[in-house]
Amino acid sequence: MPATDCATDEAAATEQGAWRAGLALLAGGDAAAALPLLRQAAAAGEGGGLALLNLGLALMQLGRLEEAEAPLARAAAMLPGHPEPPFRLATLAGLRGEADRAARLLLAALASDPGHVPALAALAMLEEGAGRLEAASALIARARMIDPAEPELDVVAARLALARDEPGAALDAASRVLARRPAHLAAARLLARAWLRRDGMAAAQAGIAARAMAEPEAAGWAIAAAELHALAGRPGAALAELRAALALAPETTELQAALGATLAEAGRDAEAEPLLRAAIAAHPGELDLRNRLATVLWTSHRVSAMLEVLEEAIRAFGPQPILLLNQALALNALGEQQAALAAAEQAVAHPAGGVEALITRMAVQPYHPEHGHAAALLESGRAVAARLGPAAAPPARPRDPERRLRIGLLSGGLGRHPVGWLTLAGLEALPETGFELVAYSLKPRQDALASRFRARATLWREVGALEDAAIAAQMVEDGIDLLLDLGGYGDGGRPGVLQRRPAPVQVKWVGMQNGSMGLDGIDWMLTDAWETPPGFERFYAERLLRLPDGYVCYLPPAVAPPVAPLPAMARGHVTFGCFNNLAKVTPRVLQAWGRILGALPEAQLVLRTHALAEPATRERLRARMVVAGLPVERVTLAGGVPHQRLLAAYGEVDIALDPLSLCRRPHGLRGALDGGAGGGARR
Amino acid sequence: MAAPVAARLAEQARLLLRDGRAEEALPMLDRLLHLGVPGTAALRAEAMLLLRRLEEAETAADAALEECADAAMRGLRARIRLARGDQAGAVDDAAAAVMAKPGDRPARLLLASALLEAGRHDEAIWFLGEAWRAEPGNATLQLRLGQAFLRAGRYEAASELFTHCEAASPWTPGVAALRAQAALLAGDAGAAADLARAALARGIVDGAVHSVLAHALVNLGRLEEAGPHFAAAARLAPDDPYIAHLAAAAAGTATGRAPEGYVTALFDGYAAHFEPALLSLGYRVPGLIRRAVERLRPQAMTEGLGPVLDLGCGTGLVGVALSDLLRAPLVGVDLSRRMLDQAAAKGLYAELRPADLTEALRRDEGAYALVTAADVFCYFGLLEAPLTLCRERLAPGGLLLFSLECAGPGEAWRLGPEGRYRHAPDYVAAAAAAAGLRLLECRPEALRRDGEATVPGLLVAAEALVH
Repeated sequence: MPATDCATDEAAATEQGAWRAGLALLAGGDAAAALPLLRQAAAAGEGGGLALLNLGLALMQLGRLEEAEAPLARAAAMLPGHPEPPFRLATLAGLRGEADRAARLLLAALASDPGHVPALAALAMLEEGAGRLEAASALIARARMIDPAEPELDVVAARLALARDEPGAALDAASRVLARRPAHLAAARLLARAWLRRDGMAAAQAGIAARAMAEPEAAGWAIAAAELHALAGRPGAALAELRAALALAPETTELQAALGATLAEAGRDAEAEPLLRAAIAAHPGELDLRNRLATVLWTSHRVSAMLEVLEEAIRAFGPQPILLLNQALALNALGEQQAALAAAEQAVAHPAGGVEALITRMAVQPYHPEHGHAAALLESGRAVAARLGPAAAPPARPRDPERRLRIGLLSGGLGRHPVGWLTLAGLEALPETGFELVAYSLKPRQDALASRFRARATLWREVGALEDAAIAAQMVEDGIDLLLDLGGYGDGGRPGVLQRRPAPVQVKWVGMQNGSMGLDGIDWMLTDAWETPPGFERFYAERLLRLPDGYVCYLPPAVAPPVAPLPAMARGHVTFGCFNNLAKVTPRVLQAWGRILGALPEAQLVLRTHALAEPATRERLRARMVVAGLPVERVTLAGGVPHQRLLAAYGEVDIALDPLSLCRRPHGLRGALDGGAGGGARR
Repeated sequence: MAAPVAARLAEQARLLLRDGRAEEALPMLDRLLHLGVPGTAALRAEAMLLLRRLEEAETAADAALEECADAAMRGLRARIRLARGDQAGAVDDAAAAVMAKPGDRPARLLLASALLEAGRHDEAIWFLGEAWRAEPGNATLQLRLGQAFLRAGRYEAASELFTHCEAASPWTPGVAALRAQAALLAGDAGAAADLARAALARGIVDGAVHSVLAHALVNLGRLEEAGPHFAAAARLAPDDPYIAHLAAAAAGTATGRAPEGYVTALFDGYAAHFEPALLSLGYRVPGLIRRAVERLRPQAMTEGLGPVLDLGCGTGLVGVALSDLLRAPLVGVDLSRRMLDQAAAKGLYAELRPADLTEALRRDEGAYALVTAADVFCYFGLLEAPLTLCRERLAPGGLLLFSLECAGPGEAWRLGPEGRYRHAPDYVAAAAAAAGLRLLECRPEALRRDGEATVPGLLVAAEALVH
């Protein structure tokens, strides 16, 4: 890390105790031990501004970016003409996405030292980010004149050459890096892309395979092969090559990060987490790694841990939309609906928030005790529609009366998931002679319900990895007559597909069906008179098609435990229970439960859901319970269990309580279905 | 490569294989192999078996055994050979593994599987019975024993085991389908359908249950009801050519011929009971062929026949029908190895070739006095190409005899819902002419019984056109 270079340079500049010792520790790579000494030295005014500068460097090295700013700014004021303080402040600005400020600071650093190679490189990357490739290349060329041996400059040169569509030059630059650093992740990936661009997939693969056999101990060839596999849509083979690469170079933290991300992508969270944590410790300045770790924690229901990671990242990198979005989802899953919506609104207001922010707001808003009503949801849905643009015209294709009606299902929940439990029985009842089902699955699932979907679907397409446009094009090619959206704005929902209007008739049914989606691309919503009573039409962009007996087609589990005798008969007191996710447990719900338990001094309450497996989440909820006047000593908080055991756990309660927040949805059923809060963490 | 790096690669590859993640181990194994690290061949054999790259698996296993011929490696090669359909080889390896470690239970069970596949049902049942008696609560073992009884044609014993297993552990994977299948094989299609429907109603999701139900419904003549269940079975087993063909047949989406995989699976499944089943159905085709020879080549009755090529020879029934007329080699061709094993046991065939019919005809350079294809062309829609290949194999004056199931006039050919093609006489005449054949006879014949009815067919005789 350049911090130590700087520290070494200045080591002779002072004779003072804490300052000197702190500097020595920092130069030796022990930033944590150096920190108190540098603080002491800075407070004592030792080393001039240099103590402050090195304190800032130590904090950056430890990933405490938010604390580094102040000492660096003071160092800059005390050391005018020194390039390091503005350079480091520029680094911080860059990490926070403040490109203009970063550029100004880098120019200030270069004004002090025109030969400051890291500043030239950083400025080149800012130019690259702004699309000014020639300017970026010129800066890199200048830096390489000064320091021809620095491999990172070649990495940037390779990337710029590729962006300029000069794959030969990119290949040369990347090869130079790999010759010196055989496990360099970025260089190996660039090499693969350059080779591919120059010679095509088959030749690139053959070439890289040959190099791998010639140098079997060099991790770079495995990384390059992984990159080609990933580009060719073979994630399994890519994962295999990355594993080989890490086995060859186990200390390479960039590889740990890459493998961690790939495992997370494959849903293998337990394997991904330690790799990502190790990589974050080594690269505290990588926002993507922190966000990736947050998504891993989300899928393993460790929401408090997720929130901790995100809050730390927001402190370090500022309130960037991707972090705010996932923070909103985490807060919502913890039952802190107001804070969740506030985070989502902050992301919506951010200039870079985009449609993702609007969609995430739709995922958390229905749970908000005040802003989750139908009119507000319609308004937020319309905001998504406005951002996506008007729906395309329906495909001009006459329906062939001789052909069976072809129904497309778009969902990430075609299996053991509330969408599965609430739709499969209805879909299975459609006779094969009249209806073909085509599944567009957004998330692969392997379970008994998923198999039943497969058994009924004429055609099965896993489309989770595809862009909206590609999915819509596939639906048009498949000749879908009627598209059923079963995702809404929930986990993996794809409003962008619906707005492309791939089917002549598009219908919303089950799956985050909290209110209107607000899209003009949907014609109908399958609903009922309880979900949408007469007069509710004005809150819906869709036409309401009310089914007579409830809008879901519930499929009871194949085997359910027998109804147990009332526990109160043996215990002598009533046990209440609520197995819903915490997103539905609003302050009003807690207050109502508080009144119930207040009126029945012997009664107990059991809450059970996945998020409560985490001690920190239990503590947060207990704190909210105290505020709401709930006697926490009479409340048991338990984590989630597999479906059969969840059903059996209802035998332990006398009266199941339904949360109040979303009164027009089948909550009791939802509790039994072990449903999760809506929204998928954004990667 | 530094030794620690090789050791690390080998260790990680081993861990991945233990978790069944063979694909993820491949790049490590490639490097280990390239470097000649000892022990790599064994790991590679295991990986290739997991990936179903069986030829490479066996090659690697052979190499590993050269390195170190231990019981575990013999066992691994037995599993590979079993997967490749080399039952005799699998029995050899599995037996060697058991002899090296007589008390090793997995090895004994592997030997049982190999014996079962090799058609040595009684020995397999002995080993499986021994294992199940040692562990009577093990539903998987009970199921395997039941399957062995099923294969041995002892349906009642199989059914008893499956019923008991299902009562004790109703969610044992596969048990519901096997129970229904036992009823179907025992001839009670109604009971099979009831059992399969009950399983589906209980929420059992298994393509095999749909498949048995569909077969049972076909047997009961309820073809329309069978269609959706063939379709469901095919969707749940997208790589199974047998069920895919039947689903296509039921849906009326026919292709030009039945896929090779379908025919192989069909007849491998039938082999053990093929003859009794056919004979019980009043199967007449070998006898019809014999009579056609008597009619059309009367001199053969005294002089005997020249070389005979029996296409789709199955268990060798045509060979039996012609046995007293054979004076020259009789060659049999069939896709199903298990069928060929049964044919070999008859001792009539000079050569038996496990091959696809068209492939075998293309490679054959012989000239035959008689080419027969009994119940073969019902797996082909278009006949022009196979008939041309047959004509090319006829010696001067040679005779081609084949049977077909009968379609209505003007239908050319169509795929019936039971997965077999039917052909119309006018199409047969046109196809024969296009293939350079002169039709001698095209006689309507009842081929066999189907329930109370008979299956209407054609017995066709042709010889090469002489220009």
